[in-house]
Amino acid sequence: MSAVVTPDVTPEWHGDDVSIRDVLDALSQIRERFDRTEAGDDEHPHPRSCVMTLIGVVASASHEQLAVRTSRAISAQHPAQSIVIREDAPVRGGHLEAWIATEVQRPAEACATECEIITLHVRGAAAEHLDALVDPLLVSGVPTYLWWMGTPPFDKRDLLEALRICDGLVVDSAQFERPYHTFRGLSALLNVAHHRLGLADLQWARLKPWRETIAQFFTPRDRRSFLGGIAEVGVDYEGDGRGNRIAAALITGWMATALGWNLKRAAAGPGGVVVAHYEAGGRSIEVAFRSVRKEHLAAGELSAVRIAGAARGTTFRLSVQHDPERMRSTPEPSYRSLHTTGGEDDAGIELAERRAEWHRDVLHENLDSLHHTATGDAPGESRPRASTVFRFDRRRQDSTTVLLTMIEVGEGAPLRHVQQLEGEDVPSLLLDLLSTGTHDEVYNRSLASAAELVEKF
Amino acid sequence: MRVEEAPNPLAEGLHDYRVADPAVMVIFGATGDLSGRKLLPALYNLAKQRSLPAGFAVVGAAKDELTEQAFRKHASDKIRQFSRTQPIDDRVLAAFLDSVSYIKVDFSRLEDFKALGARLQELDNTRLIPGNRIFYCATPPPTYELISVQIQAAGLSTSTGFRRIVIEKPFGLDLKSARGLTETLHKVFSEDSVYRIDHYLGKETVQNILAFRFANAIFEPVWNTNLIDSVQITVAEDIGIETRGAYYDRTGALRDIVQNHALQLVTLVAMEPPLAFEATAVRDEKVKVLRAIRPLIGEDIEQSTVRGQYTQGWVLGEQVPGYREEPNVATDSQTETFAALRLFIDNWRWAGVPFYIRAGKRLPKRITEIRIQFKRPPHLTFGREAMKEVDPNALTLRIQPEEGISLKFGAKVPSAGLRIRSVTMDFQYMTSFLVEAPEAYERLLLDCVIGDPTLFTRADEVEAAWMFIDPIEESWRNGRPPLGVYPAGTWGPPAAAQLLQGDGREWHRP
Repeated sequence: MSAVVTPDVTPEWHGDDVSIRDVLDALSQIRERFDRTEAGDDEHPHPRSCVMTLIGVVASASHEQLAVRTSRAISAQHPAQSIVIREDAPVRGGHLEAWIATEVQRPAEACATECEIITLHVRGAAAEHLDALVDPLLVSGVPTYLWWMGTPPFDKRDLLEALRICDGLVVDSAQFERPYHTFRGLSALLNVAHHRLGLADLQWARLKPWRETIAQFFTPRDRRSFLGGIAEVGVDYEGDGRGNRIAAALITGWMATALGWNLKRAAAGPGGVVVAHYEAGGRSIEVAFRSVRKEHLAAGELSAVRIAGAARGTTFRLSVQHDPERMRSTPEPSYRSLHTTGGEDDAGIELAERRAEWHRDVLHENLDSLHHTATGDAPGESRPRASTVFRFDRRRQDSTTVLLTMIEVGEGAPLRHVQQLEGEDVPSLLLDLLSTGTHDEVYNRSLASAAELVEKF
Repeated sequence: MRVEEAPNPLAEGLHDYRVADPAVMVIFGATGDLSGRKLLPALYNLAKQRSLPAGFAVVGAAKDELTEQAFRKHASDKIRQFSRTQPIDDRVLAAFLDSVSYIKVDFSRLEDFKALGARLQELDNTRLIPGNRIFYCATPPPTYELISVQIQAAGLSTSTGFRRIVIEKPFGLDLKSARGLTETLHKVFSEDSVYRIDHYLGKETVQNILAFRFANAIFEPVWNTNLIDSVQITVAEDIGIETRGAYYDRTGALRDIVQNHALQLVTLVAMEPPLAFEATAVRDEKVKVLRAIRPLIGEDIEQSTVRGQYTQGWVLGEQVPGYREEPNVATDSQTETFAALRLFIDNWRWAGVPFYIRAGKRLPKRITEIRIQFKRPPHLTFGREAMKEVDPNALTLRIQPEEGISLKFGAKVPSAGLRIRSVTMDFQYMTSFLVEAPEAYERLLLDCVIGDPTLFTRADEVEAAWMFIDPIEESWRNGRPPLGVYPAGTWGPPAAAQLLQGDGREWHRP
């Protein structure tokens, strides 16, 4: 069951049943107080630094806590104003409950910086007009990023309207609850969003070390010709079903667009293997996707990429794989025990989710009568807490690991190489994305290509 | 374009991703201080950032009798002690140490270099390295010549891949010795294979001078003699000479700091926009500035330069000895620990704008900054009385510490009347990018492995700088101008202030 969650940092200000004007007034007072305190005996207040506004849209208490934690982590490196919006939250009183917390950084050789984290719990129609809600709060002159945690409603107008005030949308396609459908919605967004909007995907950021390692193999001049000799690609991933092939499709889409491969066909083979055939310059490239059970990986994660071919009479083989020693550290998702899925593929997950939503709706319809029966309170005297749907957490939190690379060129002995993967925690990935902006043509091309491939799945 | 020369299409969009061909880096003097404090930790951090390609190898070479295992232990200890990033990632360190080996090399023994050659050949075969070599001289400058001669004699300069040599400053002690060094190196390595490291150029904030000037449209139009009154460059250290007495007493502030760091800052402030941030374009423009500096000759030197030596005093609340009381310094030393000079750049942009440089040890604080002083408004619209507390506009580029930029301008004092006062608008790196910058050596080592010499000093740059410095040095050795003294913890001898006072200006107090 969900509860009213107070942000896990001590707020400087809190208001029930408030308006955005109240929040703005409180912000002004907090800033003035900070400026005066920090200026001390100095004649002028110290400069205020802010490089972006980050809006996090969340739908659950756990996501809200993650968004606040991430905002704090980001403000430790990039002074930012963060706004965390929880829709349909249990709100005391009216439609808007707000908290303002601050995070003060005191670098050794510079003056202190204060970053605000504004948490808004919204209910009712206001939640459907995010742009109107947050526009007055945005910091002028710096980019605004909308980080939609969970599954963005690409089919709703609200999202497109909210994107009008944003420079970038950040999602995590590894967290989509209906990956197959939502991923196609993400790809379609490229065609309908305003031209200034950048699109960033935490799953794409997780693939960066894979892309670097693969690119690195082909960087030496004497290996550049191998790019035109690639004949086979194998991509192993964890989990069953087409919804778990998103990362595999993205890495393939990246190679295909970078190297000018055209998708000809894709077909399922025996043993759950899917094979896609590309063509480039009269050559055929076969890409095989294989679900390989790896206990240490989360559903949808890549476990290995193999590339093989020959050029100018020399054969080559590159194999990149996750360190198999990594251990699982998070428990099984809890909803499975409540709603049997019948399988972990997309259809099974969708079925489970529908059941869960139905379960919630039934509960919700009868919530008041159940509550009054249970408490004996008169109607309106107290409010029942909203129920929660347990959701399938597609990504696990364990992260730090290495990529093992094996290189074979010609008849030479294989060369082994170990490279570190940075922490794949959300704050690190988000920081990496936002520090370079969200406009990434390579991602856009790879996304479109991956979506084309996913369609064939 | 041939496929080998085309950019790697898979590398597109990988921000900050720069990776080289597999190569072997041979570190001569691998057991020394520079290697342990800077090079090995920088290489570890590059490995951690996945910037070193599969197959990259490091060979430590020094005269010490060490086993491979002992050298790896030494490298591991130094990395753990001096790495910028902590805690150390054991798996990355282990993988990095796998690529590290050691060989005893006595620089005078050709056989040792031949044994080194055999080791390099073996690494080429086992680690898929196409003969690429980087020879890093982490050794005293007098060894550079011997090392390069032995490299050639042992046939190490004729492998199939690229061959580069890296040397540390000082690049000679005067023009003659700098040219001699260049000639020696050029017998074995072409100029584009010689990487002269001045770690100052690897600092992020130094590079940012170019970003500030050429990534913004609003500064260049005012960046000239029409609006700029003068430029002040301060490179101040609060420390003394520490354990470097013997070296410093032979060198002095002019050759230790002004000839390289300070003149590099002059070039970055004064250069014309290069066509691209690319080695030849950037270095060509820097050389043009150095060649345009009006030479100081004869009486100019006495009028435009100041030299000083610190005496006992107080720095940062502590009493410190005078220079002549420092270890390994002659008791009658005439070596300057403070240098100030006024120079002019004779070109269209800077005609008539004095550049004031001061550099020294045991000054009140550690600070490096460039101050661009603008001219006063041509007309006092608000009257002399209202403007009496207003200084001219000034733009200060702070290199270290508190890296940032501040602009001083006039603003109305809130009151019924009209009074104007100077206020500053500050930008601080540390409040905008709270990210730890990479070590200068990480940037420079990677540049060297990749083959990007933009931030390294070219031979003609070195020579142009010595051409300006040599006459001053010679005059100073002849006692002109006389050596002034200053108590430690002050801003140099009185003559330094007088140098500007004579021009109707004064040093900015940082």
